[in-house]
Formats: sequence, C-alpha cells, structure tokens
Amino acid sequence: MKIPSFVLPVLLGASSVLFITGCASPAHKKPDAATSAAVGKSKSDGKSVTAANDDLDEYSAATVADPLEPLNRATFMLNDGLYTVIFRPVSKTYETVLPKFVRQGIYNAYENVKFPIRVVNDTLQGNLKRAGLETGKFLVNSTVGVGGLGRPSDHIPALADVPSADTAQTFAKWGIGNGFYLVLPVLGPSTLRDAVGLAGDYALNPITWVCFVYGDYDWIIAIPAANTVRALPVQLSQYDAITKNALDRYLAARSAYIQYRKEAASK
Amino acid sequence: MNLRPFSLLVVATFVTFQGVASAATAEAEKRLHTAVDQVLAIADRAPNGSALAVSLRPTLEKYLSFAAMTRRAVGPGWRQFTKAQQDNATALFTTLVIRTYSSKFTPGEHPVFTYKAATEPAPGRVEVPTTLLYQGSHYSVIYRMEAAEGWRITDIVIEGVSLIANYRSQFDAQFKKGGAPAVISALSQSVTPQ
Repeated sequence: MKIPSFVLPVLLGASSVLFITGCASPAHKKPDAATSAAVGKSKSDGKSVTAANDDLDEYSAATVADPLEPLNRATFMLNDGLYTVIFRPVSKTYETVLPKFVRQGIYNAYENVKFPIRVVNDTLQGNLKRAGLETGKFLVNSTVGVGGLGRPSDHIPALADVPSADTAQTFAKWGIGNGFYLVLPVLGPSTLRDAVGLAGDYALNPITWVCFVYGDYDWIIAIPAANTVRALPVQLSQYDAITKNALDRYLAARSAYIQYRKEAASK
Repeated sequence: MNLRPFSLLVVATFVTFQGVASAATAEAEKRLHTAVDQVLAIADRAPNGSALAVSLRPTLEKYLSFAAMTRRAVGPGWRQFTKAQQDNATALFTTLVIRTYSSKFTPGEHPVFTYKAATEPAPGRVEVPTTLLYQGSHYSVIYRMEAAEGWRITDIVIEGVSLIANYRSQFDAQFKKGGAPAVISALSQSVTPQ
C-alpha cells in the first residue's frame, strides 16, 4: 500500500512544528537576544518600576501581517477540536501505556535522527562551528547513547546547549521576512516563510527518505506515526501553557509563535 | 599635557561603576535564588494545580512586581484607566499571572535550574538567564528584574516568549475594542473559575 501523499508531511510536520514550537531541544541563548525577541521595543531607560507611566510603551505587541485572520481563526478552532478529540486521547494513552524512560528514549531517538535538518541548516547559515558541534552531538548520542535513545551529550558542556537549526530559520538568516501569519490544519501556527521552510525540513528528514524507499510496505506508516505520537505530550503541554489562561487564545498562540521564531532566528 | 590624572579618573570611575553593577546583579541574583527556592518548596508540597495557585500567592506577591507587569502589559492605554480601573485591572491580572505560573508545574515533577551570569542592561535593571531542565527537556528561562522595594521580577521570558509581551498583544486587542472597560471585562472572564 502506498501512503497517501498528504499523510507523511502531516505526520512529520506535526512532530516538528509542535502546534506552537519545537522547544524540546537544549536551549541556548544570549540574554539580550532573548529579551529583544520578547520585547518589541525596549527602551531600557533605566527607570525603576516605580517610575510612573514612562515604561508603558516598553513592550509592543508582537506583530505579523494577518490578512487571513478569519480563516486562521476558523482553522485554529478546528485544530483545537482535533487536539481535544484525537490527539489528547492518543497522548494520554501513550503516556499510560509506556513508562517515562521508554517514552524519553523514543523521543530522544527521533530527535537524534533529525540531525541532517540541523547540520545542513547550520551550514547554510554559515555557522560551521555549530555544524561541527551538532555533528559531535550526533556522534556521541548515536554511539554512547545507543542509537540516540540516550542523550549523553547533555553531560558534555560544549554539546549540551547547541541551538537547533531548521530551514525556516535559515530563510530568516538570509533576510527573508515572515510574509503573513498562517494557521495550518493540524500543524498549527506558522507563517508563509515557515510553511515553505517545512518543505525543506521534510526533504532533509531521514524519516522521509525511509518512507520513500520502503513506501510500498504497509508497516512503514508506523515510523512517521510513532514520530507524531512521541512528540504529542510535550507539544500539547506547551500548547496548553500558552493558551490555557489567555484572554484570546488565538492571539496568545500567534504572539507566542512569532516571539519564539524571532528568537530562534536570532540565535 | 599630562593626561595621567584624567586617565586615573576614568579608570576609577569605571572600576566604581563595575563594582556597583556587580553588587546590583549579585543582589538581584540572590533575591531570585531565594524566590525560586521558596516557590519550588511550595510546589513540592502542593497536591494539585489549584492548591498550588493559592499557596504560591503570598510568595509571588512578595517577589513579583504585579503593578509594573500589569501597566506594561496594558501599554499606553493605561493612561486612560482611572485609578479604580487600574487597581481593578492589577488585582485581576495578578490572579491571572499566578494561575498561569502555577499551571506550568506538574505535581511530582521537580524542575532543575542552572543559573547563568546575570547582566545589567540598564541601571536598576537586571536580567538573570537560567536553563531549566523539566520533564526531560531543557528550556531557556530569563528573569527580568528591577529595583523597587528590593529586587522584583517584572517579566519571565521562556524560550524567547515573554509573559508580558504575550498579554500585551491580547490587551491591545481588547483596548481597541472598548477601552479600559473591555480590558477589565476580558480579565474578569479569564479569572472566573471555569
């Protein structure tokens, strides 16, 4: 049986887009960079918090063109329903059936396999040092970590904090703007640039290669399906963290996504 | 011309400034460590999320500047709020932030913080970057602090996403719809127990 052409990108994308972000990679940030991503316009004028009203425009709303807002809101609601009806029960079952250390091992292994996405984009961004670190991390985790099930690189200071690169980030580094905001069915928040970037990540993902090579076999669907399921608990937890106490869940998700991607591009 | 006295003055000024800056960051860092330790101790004892929100409130009120957070989350529209509306909005936003913060903890999970070197982007302001290991994943968390009645947290930036900037987008939309009453109404709805 051939996998329907739309299934694979959705399964692969769902595990990398996160609905909001792919935050599970080790973090690495310069404080000022993070702040500039979070704060639209920082005056940093040195006034203390007691200085009345002078700091009111210190934060500006994270902005992105959203000409498709009505359609995006409808897709957002549709996705929210899908998460509730399909993904949450699947995630809950997955967490119930498999012990935590097994889930963590599966999670690590899939992240490790995505090494080509990161190393190719590090290289395209001209960051050869990071590409080298990424390669070192991959080698350590693939060997000492037994095929990536473990993450011994976390215990090596130089490899513990390697930022994760992707194709959309590379576009951003090349000076390509967001375009406009998009909410993709199932995959969630994105922008025109990031949606195009997903195609690059898809092409660089070894899971895609395996699926193309063995596409005639039914069992092959298990690989991208497991990739989606293993990422669900983390992704749903992050989705909830952003939207649960929001005044407007759509705006909260949009703002968080734009801030997160801006920060990712600044690394 | 003998520049030596001038050079010494420059050096002395620089050294003095560095000393003040280090003292400020050290004080802010110490305050943050205390706050985080207290929060984690409370979180360890809480049986569930709603109980945690109640027990965390006094500690968070001590270490966070909710007035500054609310003012900045609302933005320039704050000037059009009456004093009563400002107080009301601050009280509601305090409840919302405490609930948001509490909801990030899962009972039984113990986050591990690694503190990095703090910076002082402006006098009276310190940023303390940390790495948080939580449920097997690493997150970057930056605490923005300001000097006001001791050092207080004014924003928490998780993976580049600022708590205040995120609410700013939402308040902006409400304010454009109907000014201060719309903001307060949306806040009231959000904090009403579901």
